[in-house]
Amino acid sequence: MAIKVKVVERPTDDVSYVRATLKGMALTVKHLFDVQGRVTTQYPEEKSPISPRWRGTHRMLTTETGKARCVACGLCPTVCPANCIKLVPGEDEEGNRYPLVFEIDEFRCIFCGFCQEVCPEEAIHVGRHYENSEYSREGFVYDLQRLMDQTHPVCEMWDPEDPKGE
Amino acid sequence: MVDAKIVNLTIEGRSVSVPEGTTILEAAKTAGILIPHYCYHPGLPIAGVCRMCLVEVEKAPKLAPSCATTVAEGQVVHVHSEKSLDARKGVLEMLLINHPLDCPICDQSGECELQDYTYQEGREDSRYREPKRFNPAEDFGGDVIYVPNRCILCTRCVRFMEDVAHDPALNVSERGDRALIGKFEGKDLTHPWAANVVDLCPVGALLSKDFLNKARAWELDRTASICPNCTQGCNVTMETRENQVVRMRPRPNENVNAFFMCDWGRLNYRWMNEKNRAEHPMVRAKNGLVAASWEDAISATARALNGKKVFVVASPMLSNESLFLLTQIMQGGGGAFRVTEGEEAPLPGVEDLALRRERAANVYGAEKLGFKKTRDLLGGLGQGDVLVIAGEDLAGIDASAVSRAGDVIVISSVLPEAAGKASVVLPIANFSEEEGTVTNLRGRVQRFTQAKQAPGETRPSWLVLGDLLGAMGKQANFFLPSEVFAKLASSNSAFTGLSYDSLGFKGLPLVDAPATAPKAPIAVGA
Repeated sequence: MAIKVKVVERPTDDVSYVRATLKGMALTVKHLFDVQGRVTTQYPEEKSPISPRWRGTHRMLTTETGKARCVACGLCPTVCPANCIKLVPGEDEEGNRYPLVFEIDEFRCIFCGFCQEVCPEEAIHVGRHYENSEYSREGFVYDLQRLMDQTHPVCEMWDPEDPKGE
Repeated sequence: MVDAKIVNLTIEGRSVSVPEGTTILEAAKTAGILIPHYCYHPGLPIAGVCRMCLVEVEKAPKLAPSCATTVAEGQVVHVHSEKSLDARKGVLEMLLINHPLDCPICDQSGECELQDYTYQEGREDSRYREPKRFNPAEDFGGDVIYVPNRCILCTRCVRFMEDVAHDPALNVSERGDRALIGKFEGKDLTHPWAANVVDLCPVGALLSKDFLNKARAWELDRTASICPNCTQGCNVTMETRENQVVRMRPRPNENVNAFFMCDWGRLNYRWMNEKNRAEHPMVRAKNGLVAASWEDAISATARALNGKKVFVVASPMLSNESLFLLTQIMQGGGGAFRVTEGEEAPLPGVEDLALRRERAANVYGAEKLGFKKTRDLLGGLGQGDVLVIAGEDLAGIDASAVSRAGDVIVISSVLPEAAGKASVVLPIANFSEEEGTVTNLRGRVQRFTQAKQAPGETRPSWLVLGDLLGAMGKQANFFLPSEVFAKLASSNSAFTGLSYDSLGFKGLPLVDAPATAPKAPIAVGA
């Protein structure tokens, strides 16, 4: 049994590729002459603005005396879903609770910001910073001094009064 | 109290039948209902000062403190009714008025009853705006430090020192909101059982100096074990962090240690974290001891032992299982052990509980299995015998006697000096790294379990000795310590009828163990 093919008659305007191709080329040529302004960001000379709630490289805040605010309470390694914080609690010279070892593996971190959220001393923060490079993987394990030496602005916490950050 | 009358009552809609004289709090426990409490502790006299255990009893004019109210026929008790929840919320709010809420730096955080009950039934915020009172932390002597700001004045520590340790050293000083726990003039917490106040303290007011700032409660792995530091065999929970034992705490056992353990046993755990260990089996070659595979080391040992008389110098820290297997390789030889001794220090408030003079876990078991307790360890070593040194370091022993031995085999977790003469070294796990049983001085066999990983190629001692017996051509198909124990129970009449299942985690006495008087419970209101 021969197959019957139903041929639908359509207007030439709808089936011709010529018009569509020309339309596309017109758009390409338009951008070639930069009618609407450039859309490529000239990174790294030029940087896109980032949100005040950007969660990037960690930073440990310090007290007026230049010591880390951390009291080694152990909440951040507990809450950390990626298990990237290593903390060995101990005491400082005055006998106060203080971290002997505080290390964050920036590679392992998933930048969820839970550590900042859970910190009762507002010591550890995620920061508005994302450009890091090292020659070795070990370099991405930040110790306490390195975390204290960071100077970038820190992430702002979400404010329920102002959910969109406006 | 033998034929006590049974009282029937209803707690939270569940009917409960308990002997007359039981408190509502204890009766609720039998029904699986925890009534929040601070000052009540089953091992201490009742004080009724914290007011946390208030419950509603139908037809009673006001709320009753359940720790100090005895049950009555037909009572209907509501633990979580609106009225009692409201009362406890008020108590918690008052306890938190002067509490510094410094949980992040408090060692008790995570195992703090104030924290738990506040989360469970407390207010979510404080209405108190005035400055909190402040007192500096105080060193109480011994292993104890006192942080008065966190104290809720439950007086458990005061009652322990007075009624259990019989060494009244603590009191409640000052009045009203200035009240705090103080020491009597010239007194310190130097009683050998004083560190129990740290466990008794429901909050972070009394802390162990040894454990201070070392770990958080929720990071610890807890294992049921036995304190190996004297022959009393107190039941303990061994707590480890990152494969290191960081503290030992008493585990209740009414037949051995009630709720307590001594300071010496508690603080003597560092040897279990020894870093300098024998980690690989070694066999003597031309150029001294060299690392070998387990198979080679075991077969070399079997060759050395076969057909010889074997004299075993064992450590009384080894389990019943290992000591039993050691007796199986003696082949007509003998066994000896020695034990370090110290001062006996009893806890007067609990019958038959003391830090014993003999400071090792399994002295009684070793004697029961035929090892001779002696100062002259090598006295029984015959000319040409094979000397097996198991867990003992021979420190302070005249080494010239070792030369009598035809051969020396070392089975140990650390390398003793005598290893210089050894033809084989078999590394074994230490007490915290293997499973087994020990027998205490009243003949009670108790199980301990593995708390941490053994280093290197180290193997549990019962496994090493079982393999060795197999290599010597004897019947030894042991895959679990319970199988070794079953063999022991079937071949030694004293252990008849015992098994890991029947021992459980509270232990059972040997068949011929001396009968011990039951622990005297502390009289209500004593």
